[in-house]
Amino acid sequence: MTSDRLSTTFAALADPTRRAILARLISGEASVTQLAEPFRMSMPAVSKHLKVLERAGLIARSREAQWRPCQLNAGPLKEVADWAEHYRKFFEQSFDRLENYLRGLKEKESKAKDLTQRKEQRKARRSAEENKHAGTKAKK
Amino acid sequence: MPEQKQKNNVGEYGVGRVLEITRVFDAPRKGVFAAWTDPKQLAQWWGPTGFTTPVCELDVRPGGAILIHMRAPDGTIYPMSGVYKEVVPPERIVFTATPLDKDGKAMFENLNTVIFTERDGKTTVMLRVEVVKSSAAAEQYLAGMEMGWKMSLDRLEAFVGKN
Repeated sequence: MTSDRLSTTFAALADPTRRAILARLISGEASVTQLAEPFRMSMPAVSKHLKVLERAGLIARSREAQWRPCQLNAGPLKEVADWAEHYRKFFEQSFDRLENYLRGLKEKESKAKDLTQRKEQRKARRSAEENKHAGTKAKK
Repeated sequence: MPEQKQKNNVGEYGVGRVLEITRVFDAPRKGVFAAWTDPKQLAQWWGPTGFTTPVCELDVRPGGAILIHMRAPDGTIYPMSGVYKEVVPPERIVFTATPLDKDGKAMFENLNTVIFTERDGKTTVMLRVEVVKSSAAAEQYLAGMEMGWKMSLDRLEAFVGKN
């Protein structure tokens, strides 16, 4: 979804009356008169809100019936919800990557540790052997 | 349908919204803290899968600036600026994050608090993101965000599923 389309959706949602209209439409289609009922608002004012919602693709109006019922079109709303989840996804995925990164560091470190350990063991063995030799020489 | 309250509080939408994420990492705290504060290390993991971080400048001290450019797999650059508010190594960092639009203007501002605690060689990172500011441009975005959260998502998803 382009951000422009998202802007249109959000602009349509930025009004409490329009959100109330959408909430009403979740429970089923309704006529303009029915939608206007809870608001102390003229029919033309409600029609204006409906036009904004229609342009944003949030509602559809049937052309068949004479009373042209409005229906919720939840597609753009789903996209809004997805966008709201954007941050969570952002950090969840970042944290996955951080986990991998830290694991990589740990492996590198333990390899380096192994290497130094082996070096030290060799050194210790060598000096022990040298001591032994020194000991046998001294006996002679 | 009950009468709706006609409150005109669009400007407040989204501000105060909090997101909290906790994750345990199998690494000592010092290392995890460094991964958050060393720009070379942060650039290795910041952003979603497949993203890269071509610009990562972190002036890690109170008042210090942050500039991060994220590059999406399709090549789009997402710039973000910010400022460190608190830096307490290796326990805590607080910084603002401000995603910028394509003209470099702030869309909104988040306050991020990251708390690091260590136990048995493992580090718990607690991240708290709070929307603290919304510009005129972001108002619509944030209003929509709140709409998304306020409506029962389950109900909405059930509805979407039917379509």
